[in-house]
Amino acid sequence: MLFAFVAQARPLPGPPQQQQQTAPPPKPQAAPQQPGSPPSQAPAVQPPAAPAAPPYTGPMIVLDPAHGGTDTGARGETGALEKDLVLDYAGMARSELESQGFHVVLTRTGDTNVSFADRAAIANSYRNAIFITLHVASTGAFGTVRTYYDQFGSEPAPPAATNTSTTVAAPHSTTLIPWDEAQLPHVDVSRQLATAIQAQLAQRFNGSPAAPTPAAVRDLRSIDAPAVAIEVSSVSVQNPNALAALAGPLAVSIARGIQAFLAATPSGGK
Amino acid sequence: MPRDLKIVLGILTVAVLVGLASLGGLHERMKGLSENSHADEEARREVLTAPISTPTDVTVQAPMYWFAGTNQLAPVNVSLALSADPAQRARQVLNALIADPTPQQRTLPASTTLLGFYVLSDGTAIADFSDALATEIPSGIASEQAAIDSIVDTLKANVPSLFRLKILIQGQEVDTLAGHIDLTGFFDLNPVPAQPAIPPLHSQNAPAASAAATAAIR
Repeated sequence: MLFAFVAQARPLPGPPQQQQQTAPPPKPQAAPQQPGSPPSQAPAVQPPAAPAAPPYTGPMIVLDPAHGGTDTGARGETGALEKDLVLDYAGMARSELESQGFHVVLTRTGDTNVSFADRAAIANSYRNAIFITLHVASTGAFGTVRTYYDQFGSEPAPPAATNTSTTVAAPHSTTLIPWDEAQLPHVDVSRQLATAIQAQLAQRFNGSPAAPTPAAVRDLRSIDAPAVAIEVSSVSVQNPNALAALAGPLAVSIARGIQAFLAATPSGGK
Repeated sequence: MPRDLKIVLGILTVAVLVGLASLGGLHERMKGLSENSHADEEARREVLTAPISTPTDVTVQAPMYWFAGTNQLAPVNVSLALSADPAQRARQVLNALIADPTPQQRTLPASTTLLGFYVLSDGTAIADFSDALATEIPSGIASEQAAIDSIVDTLKANVPSLFRLKILIQGQEVDTLAGHIDLTGFFDLNPVPAQPAIPPLHSQNAPAASAAATAAIR
């Protein structure tokens, strides 16, 4: 039985906001003081106040470096560990996204154990999130990358009708959804996000498929937001530096994929 | 040197020599125990995976979904004698899926054993695999998904009466196969349970809806 629920109290989608293409302007610095000069008591003319930056209304990008801590994930013969690689990939992607004005949060920033539920809780704590979990496979052609969106199987068969009428069916709730099925309402939007990102990946990683793949990825099930998984192949490569070199193109692909998704789906799937 | 000290040293020397002499035997015994354990597991596997066939089985070209390139599955026809009973047929097909591929075609670990296969009254199939399926499969979304697709596609192609599939590991429901693919739900097989080719004898007089369903076997 499912007892945990996700509150679905989202604001109405507003008009599409223009994403910031550059980093926020630097804070105004105080004018340098001449050495030896007396401290000015009051400036004769107030410098023009910097215009207040508009509040950020874009999505919170939740990057999820998979595994971590005692869960190493895939392990290569050269000692490359999935948990370390995805942390590097997430860091690079964060820099790329922040340079384009996005707000980004990571589900882990160190070598720590984070449960599936905790990762989902981080994403679900934002009202307007995009969740991307990063993986490295142990098999597959090196340098290929696949994007996955969640695929739910058929629902369990309804119980057979009985003659007893002692139980009354609970009213259908429109505000609460089961934690384990939080992704269900977002599957179509997640597919659009995956399509946009995979299109970018296919341009930069030869041999990668042009379209995303549906799969019952565990990380995505409880995410109450557009969510995809990206898996890079693979730790089986003999040169571990080659895996590290994928971080840059991967970050660019993610950032451009998100931009394309938001351009096509201004509400961000809300 | 005092006489007592000489005696103590002598006893200690003898004890050390005896210990050293017994080390070899101890090593052999531990090795034997390890081999026995392995042999027991092999014997168990052979019993569980013994070919299942009956005289009424019909030899057909059964498509097996194996690797045909990196992360690509493709059907390969294998000549198999298959039962008309859905659960029995599914066991035969899955055993072949595990046992028959070449190393390049292999989608499931060779040490995987199908511990049980049941069909519920609504056409839901339950496949119970040994933990080797979870522990020896390469880690990753793609490899785990390929293993699941291999099982699902092969069952869909060979046992049309099955509606959906639940996968257990060592008789237990598990969260994921090996950390990535969700096993808590069902995998769709055929949308509508179809009539079995030969209705089981015990359900010949049953309504059509239940004729499609086979009683749990095993």
